[in-house]
Amino acid sequence: MNGKDVALDESLAFRGEGLEKVYQTGETSVRALRGVDLAIPLGEMLVLLGPSGSGKSTLLNIIGGLDRPTSGRLFYRDTELTALDDRELTRFRRAQIGFIFQFYNLIPSLTAEENVRLVTDIANNPMEPRDALELVGLADRCDHYPAQLSGGEQQRVAVARAIAKRPGVLLCDEPTGALDSSTGVRVLETLERAHAELGTTVVIITHNVGIAVMAHRILHFRDGQIARVETNEHPVEPRQISW
Amino acid sequence: MKALDLKLARDLWRMRGQALAIALVLAAATATFVLSVGVHGSLVATRDAYYARSHFADVFATLKRAPRSIVARIADIPGVQRAEGNIIQYATLDFPGREEPIRALINSVDEFGRSRLNAITLRKGILPRPEHASDVVVDENFAKANGLGLGSTVAAQIYGRRQTLVIVGIGMAPNYVYALAPGDLVPDERRFGIFWMGRKALEAATDRREAINTLSLTLDRGASQAEVIRKVDSILAPYGGTGAYGREDHLSNAFLDSELKQLSAMTRIIPPIFLLVSTFLVYIVLGRMIRTEREQIGLIKAFGYSGWAIGWHYLKFALAVALLAIVLGSLAGIWMGQAMTRLYAEYYRFPFLTYRLSPPVFLAAGALAIGAAALGALGGVRSAMALQPAVAMSPPPPPVYRAGTVERLGQLAGFSALGHMIVRHVARWPGRSAITVLGVGLSMGLLFATMQFVDASKAMLDQFFARSQHQDLTVTFTEARNEHAIHALAQIPGVLRVEASRTIPVMLRLGARSKRTAIESADPASQLTARIDGTGQEVALPPAGLMLSRQLADQLRAKIGDPIEVELLGGRRTRSVQQLVRIVDEVVGARAYAGQGTLERIARDAAPADAVLLRIDPQARTRILTRLKDMPVVLGVTERQAALEKFTEVIDSNILTMISFYIAFAAAIAVGVVYNSARILFSERAHELATLRVLGYLNSEVAIVLLGEIALLVVLALPLGCMLGYAMAQLMIAMFSSDLFRLPYAATRASYGFAAVVVLSAALATALLVARRVMKLDMVRVLKARE
Ligand SMILES: Nc1ncnc2c1ncn2[C@@H]1O[C@H](COP(=O)(O)OP(=O)(O)OP(=O)(O)O)[C@@H](O)[C@H]1O
Ligand SMILES: [Mg+2]
Repeated sequence: MNGKDVALDESLAFRGEGLEKVYQTGETSVRALRGVDLAIPLGEMLVLLGPSGSGKSTLLNIIGGLDRPTSGRLFYRDTELTALDDRELTRFRRAQIGFIFQFYNLIPSLTAEENVRLVTDIANNPMEPRDALELVGLADRCDHYPAQLSGGEQQRVAVARAIAKRPGVLLCDEPTGALDSSTGVRVLETLERAHAELGTTVVIITHNVGIAVMAHRILHFRDGQIARVETNEHPVEPRQISW
Repeated sequence: MKALDLKLARDLWRMRGQALAIALVLAAATATFVLSVGVHGSLVATRDAYYARSHFADVFATLKRAPRSIVARIADIPGVQRAEGNIIQYATLDFPGREEPIRALINSVDEFGRSRLNAITLRKGILPRPEHASDVVVDENFAKANGLGLGSTVAAQIYGRRQTLVIVGIGMAPNYVYALAPGDLVPDERRFGIFWMGRKALEAATDRREAINTLSLTLDRGASQAEVIRKVDSILAPYGGTGAYGREDHLSNAFLDSELKQLSAMTRIIPPIFLLVSTFLVYIVLGRMIRTEREQIGLIKAFGYSGWAIGWHYLKFALAVALLAIVLGSLAGIWMGQAMTRLYAEYYRFPFLTYRLSPPVFLAAGALAIGAAALGALGGVRSAMALQPAVAMSPPPPPVYRAGTVERLGQLAGFSALGHMIVRHVARWPGRSAITVLGVGLSMGLLFATMQFVDASKAMLDQFFARSQHQDLTVTFTEARNEHAIHALAQIPGVLRVEASRTIPVMLRLGARSKRTAIESADPASQLTARIDGTGQEVALPPAGLMLSRQLADQLRAKIGDPIEVELLGGRRTRSVQQLVRIVDEVVGARAYAGQGTLERIARDAAPADAVLLRIDPQARTRILTRLKDMPVVLGVTERQAALEKFTEVIDSNILTMISFYIAFAAAIAVGVVYNSARILFSERAHELATLRVLGYLNSEVAIVLLGEIALLVVLALPLGCMLGYAMAQLMIAMFSSDLFRLPYAATRASYGFAAVVVLSAALATALLVARRVMKLDMVRVLKARE
């Protein structure tokens, strides 16, 4: 970054310049992002750390095309996301992004397999839904409805749903926030597996410093800005993490 | 403001669309109630006040001719409070430039102001003066319709003599609230008027010095009307009395009564249906609101609010909606009530007819609206009160979906994941879905049931005029005539066909029931008349025995084979027994028929005619009408075309005005129900829909999940709506039938179609509104919430 023109760098998944996000509510305005510059290389495993309210989710949502920055530019490879309209942004999400949230956001009226199919129905080059569930170790629970699964299992279905379309990017907002340590680790393992086997770029938001050790890089957030970038030369396998 | 009340205000504002939709439905119910009860109440109050103020008589009698001294004998009957004798005489009027027959019924009135009964209320001018033989008072509607004022002169043919009458007063009387010319079915104020003339003058004009041909009496409180009528009949028998009768058989009063019955039938049936539907709506919306606020409720309870406080909080939501509905509904009801009352004021001859805003009506309407809202709220409020704080604060267990029958069908049809979402959601909440379907179905049914009144009235007109009457003119004679008169009419150039018709006034009795009516007969080879039954079939006159219309048979509780006692009224009061051989479902009137032979046996004379039916060459109409005017034997001429037009006009203005109000209300309900259902679906599924958007579904694809479900429910509701509509229509028609009309069930496919189109348009419009919300769905916000 630092003034260099990063737009030509073919090895980057995302690059953003001067991203600002201002929430205007009546008289008051909240500056959730205050000029964020970032570059996320393809295939990186990145963790966003930072205190509550520092703007992590805001950034993630913008990267994933759920929201738009108030100002600044954002590119995904050679597409300028900030120039897309709603429909194009949706197509971008459909093609490239897999989301995982703290609350699993499964559709209760669809079985595990059908929840995955929801995504494979509209993807270009998806896996078989069963294979995706196999990947997260839930092949035998295909026909179960969310109500019949535990929280950890539901989150793994959400992971399967996210990876089934072979996305370029996996965006995870506190994927283990609602889970205990050992269940959380299983979810992280599946993320790691997707990253390893599919070469997916993974961005994980967490409060949990313990999780950060599995990342290549850690962005420390504070007051809507990247306060510090930490590079981790030796990422740890999720299996060795606990909290 | 307390925090909880603040929440209430915010909730109301947040759900303003739905709150308004419920309020509108509830307002429609309130308005129908205020409208029909208000109009009915106003009419009843007006009638009662008018009858009392102008001493409307209790018993009436007509006779051929009797000396005036007979009045004193009648007055001496025990139980009679006051008796007055008068002359009534039909006359033909001659207006320059008007070829159509115009008639007047002239009543005598005491020129010294000693008449008490059926008193004239003067609008303008004075009563006829003694020694002024040409003074007349004219009824207001006739004067208005024909541009007559004080001082206008009218050329009249009275009792075969031409006379010029001078209008000195304009007024009305309680015995002619509904003024019907003989042979007519609806009042025609342009062609028929009521006149009042000084007694001496009318006696002179009709050669009835010191004689009378009509009697009116009032009874003492507690006197037996039947007893008095028997005694009156026996006194009048030698004078050609046609049988005394009470108010219930008095033409004007009976018509008014049947109108009031119809109104009160509407009051009993329509508002309750509307209230039911709105209760449903409140139930759906509030129940759903409380479900989504489980956690909040648990929290508030955890803070220490009591169950009652929570219950009251949600009840207030319903009450606020009800309050808005009461205000809107009352205003609409008053406005429409005034419009209706104005119509009635034109149609009926009342000296005053005010739309009365009686507080009890509003209190009742308010109580009903609040009751409906509270009842609807009850389910939700109770579940809110019952929620345990701890339970409430943990999210509701995710609904358990299972593959059911519908599901298997879905798999057969190869549904996509979105298709599964639609079908499973419907199948998962069968109760909620059923309520939506029922709500939409009810509103469509209501719309259809009100719509079909238009079809029914048209069918009635068609059956009565187009199918059963083929004559151009009906000529009524002053008294029964023989073939000579008929022959004379046939000689008039332009008359193409002449058929005699005979009607004799009778009293029919079966067991303890009796009914004054007339038996009609016609030429067996008649080409100009036919009797059409409910299925549209032509019914021949029976060779022997009586045929009654369903109306009349019901009134006598007679069934086929019953021996009906027939007493001839007027002239010889002979009695005979005739078997009821047929009941015919007719649309207009309560009538009795017999073949010519039977009629001759009842009357014990060979068949003279008291009316003839003519078919004429339309080119010769003016000439024929002029000739008929000059014939002294002709009492009146009714033109079929004019009667049809008048009838149509009355139906259009009276029935259809009311109906169009109801149609508007029903349409509002359909819109309200569909809108609310769509909004509820949207709120329930907002989270899922946002998730779909996050996963990369396009707005249009996401909207399909929602709209697909709405479409599915609406499609399910359509056949239900048809069935409910059919049932409600039958009920309404049954309740709407009066002595005057019996509406046939004749719903056209267009009415079903119209109801369906309104519901579908409402669905489409709300779908668009809801689809817009899908576009604006804030994914980020929805995902922050936990569901
Ligand atoms: N819709 C909104 N309207 C107004 N302010 C908002 C909105 N969404 C977020 N904010 C504000 O923006 C700031 C950043 O929010 P964000 O959700 O990105 O924080 P975060 O880092 O994800 O916090 P956490 O770790 O608690 O999830 C916060 O101060 C928040 O209050
Ligand atoms: Mg966050």
